[in-house]
Amino acid sequence: MNVHAQTTLTPAESSLIDGFAGRIADLPGDADVTVRRDNALELLKAGLPTRRVEAWHYTDLRRLLSAVPAFKPVSKAVAVSPLIDHAVLLPVLDGVASNRDARLPDVAVSTIADRLIDGDMSERLEAADLHDTVAAVNAAFVSDGYWLEIAEGASLEKAIELQNVHAGGQAHSRFVVKAGAGSKATIVERQTGTDEALVSSISHLEVGDDAQMLWIVLQEQPDMVSYLGQFTASLGKNAKLTLFVMNSGGKLVRQEIKVTAAGQGSEFRLRGINLLAGETHCDVTMVLDHLAPDTYSTETLRNVVTGRANGVFQGQIRVARDAQKTDAKMACNTLLLSDEGGFSAKPELEIFADDVACGHGATVTEIAADHLFYLMARGIDEKTARGLLVKAFVAEVIEELDEEAVVEALETRLDAWFAEHG
Amino acid sequence: MPAVQETIDQVRMIDVDQYKYGFETLIESDLAPKGLNDDIIRFISAKKDEPQWMTEWRLQAFKRWQAMEEPSWARVSYPKIDFQDLHYYAAPKNQAGPTSLEEVDPELLRTYEKLGIPLREQEILAGVRKQGEPGEIDGEPSDNVYASGRVAVDAVFDSVSVVTTFKKELAKAGVIFCSISEAIREHPELVKKYLGSVVPVSDNFYATLNSAVFTDGSFVYVPKGVRCPMELSTYFRINEKNTGQFERTLIIAEEGAYVSYLEGCTAPQRDENQLHAAVVELIALDDAEIKYSTVQNWYPGDAQGKGGIYNFVTKRGDCRGRNSKISWTQVETGSAITWKYPSCILRGDNSRGEFYSIAVSNGYQQIDSGTKMLHLGKNTSSRIISKGISAGHSQNTYRGQVSAHRKASNARNFTQCDSLLIGNDCGAHTVPYIEAKNATAQFEHEATTSKISDDQLFYVMQRGIPEEEAIALIVNGFVKDVIQQLPMEFAVEAQKLIGISLEGSVG
Repeated sequence: MNVHAQTTLTPAESSLIDGFAGRIADLPGDADVTVRRDNALELLKAGLPTRRVEAWHYTDLRRLLSAVPAFKPVSKAVAVSPLIDHAVLLPVLDGVASNRDARLPDVAVSTIADRLIDGDMSERLEAADLHDTVAAVNAAFVSDGYWLEIAEGASLEKAIELQNVHAGGQAHSRFVVKAGAGSKATIVERQTGTDEALVSSISHLEVGDDAQMLWIVLQEQPDMVSYLGQFTASLGKNAKLTLFVMNSGGKLVRQEIKVTAAGQGSEFRLRGINLLAGETHCDVTMVLDHLAPDTYSTETLRNVVTGRANGVFQGQIRVARDAQKTDAKMACNTLLLSDEGGFSAKPELEIFADDVACGHGATVTEIAADHLFYLMARGIDEKTARGLLVKAFVAEVIEELDEEAVVEALETRLDAWFAEHG
Repeated sequence: MPAVQETIDQVRMIDVDQYKYGFETLIESDLAPKGLNDDIIRFISAKKDEPQWMTEWRLQAFKRWQAMEEPSWARVSYPKIDFQDLHYYAAPKNQAGPTSLEEVDPELLRTYEKLGIPLREQEILAGVRKQGEPGEIDGEPSDNVYASGRVAVDAVFDSVSVVTTFKKELAKAGVIFCSISEAIREHPELVKKYLGSVVPVSDNFYATLNSAVFTDGSFVYVPKGVRCPMELSTYFRINEKNTGQFERTLIIAEEGAYVSYLEGCTAPQRDENQLHAAVVELIALDDAEIKYSTVQNWYPGDAQGKGGIYNFVTKRGDCRGRNSKISWTQVETGSAITWKYPSCILRGDNSRGEFYSIAVSNGYQQIDSGTKMLHLGKNTSSRIISKGISAGHSQNTYRGQVSAHRKASNARNFTQCDSLLIGNDCGAHTVPYIEAKNATAQFEHEATTSKISDDQLFYVMQRGIPEEEAIALIVNGFVKDVIQQLPMEFAVEAQKLIGISLEGSVG
């Protein structure tokens, strides 16, 4: 890998670099954090990745990130009502954690701003490689977020909802969640806002031995937002993580998922729905490392593409030499409903252990003619029939989640999208 | 299943890492000095008696190549190649162009004998059945090319085509089958029209290098409505030390024509790596069909990964006409490094592309291979079946692209790539790129990676079949879908090759 110094910077690159000078004085962090922020900026100075960079093959960030709005001096963001009733709300409004003194049973809560000062965060601000641009943007500008530690053996009664809400400009947040051994929890991550913005958000999750976690990412940005998201997780022995991701907004969306099945017998499930309309460019990129024996993973993604939207899924499953008896299956199914839209999939397998069962499938089609016929033969008009089929296609993934309150809440969001774009 | 038994016998008979074709033939040869510059290119061009336009074409390509960078995206690693440390031209000395096989150097004929070119072809090469035999081709073209029992062969030794058989009989049917050098001299209008029209001069690093320095290869032209009366075949062999082999193949099937073409490749066993960078261009016009089969068995290097051929090849077919069809079948068992993506551009409406591949890697071999199916026309369809088997310390990657453009309505693709891992030191990787820009496109892709399951093995062994034989049986079953696509003679050869390549890892 070489850093190709760009001869000319794009307007977006210039805004990022110039914006840093004006912003750094207001950002929290000790000396070590400042060094990491400078490192991150150096990475950005080398230029945003283009499609020549394999990890960004279908999302030419340099071309697509056309403008970076300036920070707004006054915060106007307001928290939204939680997805699941009675959930504990932990909002970050325009890059500032608003529930700073939250007291939860079995969960220790602190803010990222505090952690940036007391030295716990600096290592996490390091980009994984030269093209870890999401991490670099966030490391340079991150201002706040929440740090949660769930006690060992605790089974949380109420879901926790982390909100990252903005009212335009820029917002850069982080969340760190450490789920203790044997704990059980549901966490919702909401990404939304009200105006043109550049948003970056990174979540670090550590699932302890025998712990169980359901994590839901709901990205509903307005259509003038560039959103750079990253979710990283490592799983302990026999830990179980279900990650549900729903993207239904934004102008430019890059959602990265990096999961490491580090503990023997750990299980990872990814369920994703991408509802793409208008001019959205939405890229979900997953890298899953199976490091330990007897690990299990399944990934199911359902995409609906309409209008002039463009969807991308890159899913890489890597099985290390020691991860014998790995069972990994990935499926990415797309309904491409418009001739002006597009979808690109790159499901990768990289396997170094021989006693494994790994597979992936990818399809891109339109609605099956015989399904349509079946419904229309029963007197349902074509438009309604199509609507039913498309909804059923994605709803399947939600129903699998097995938690009634969650399923109902997500179906409401689904209905809302279809009401607007159906 | 006698073929299976044969595979097992072969495996037993041969010691570890015995490469059957590793001999070297001592023939006096004409070598260009090492290095690459304008003068060397002029030298090659002059040696080939080429017209001025061709020399210019090469120099143009060389100019572009100098500005290009070697690609690094493939999952292969090797020390940097010194392109100035190679001979770009090597030819057996008696270069006057033999008119009959009797004039061919007997050493050379012995080489082909050793290569084990199917017996019948040897007879043909030796001229036994070459002349004066009544051929069915004069009458109605036969659907079964094997009924006539003949295969026309073009043999390429280092840089030059040494002999092309059956030329006269093919000419009667209007088929031109000759070396590309000859075609440049004899049929310049055809070469000018089609050369570089599928793989542009500056397509990629190796293709551009090839455009500058290609020395020989085959040329096939099948005129309108003609079904080529026999299988056409080329054997490539690198013999000389420190040479690069750069051959260029151009096949044109006019409206309604059909041709089936096979190529085989071998090289001597050497400690240093040798470079092979070929370009193959296929053009199928309306209703035409081209079937291209490869059994690639370049020297793969020894058990420690020393030596072997670097096989950097650009192969592309252009379904230019309506209802045209191009089918690639490949059996890859050789080469230290393979970098090869036989592709189809489905330009004509209703055109069809197929890719069937078996890639076997053992020792320290590295394979990064696959295909591209680019759907441009309406109602185009493609099918990809890829079977990778990795053993030893090898790395085996499938890399493929399927794309449907805006106007490619009703594009249809089915892809299946399966990998089999034998042993715990090898790797199997799958990297497909699926790109749809049309709502009526229908793409299906599936990939699996596994080892031979204990259930399967138990099932077979329980019937009294020993383990080694059982594994061979299962492996042969694993690749059956592809083997079926090969012409019959090659299928047997390929099955044996797979057995030999896996030797030392099976059982």
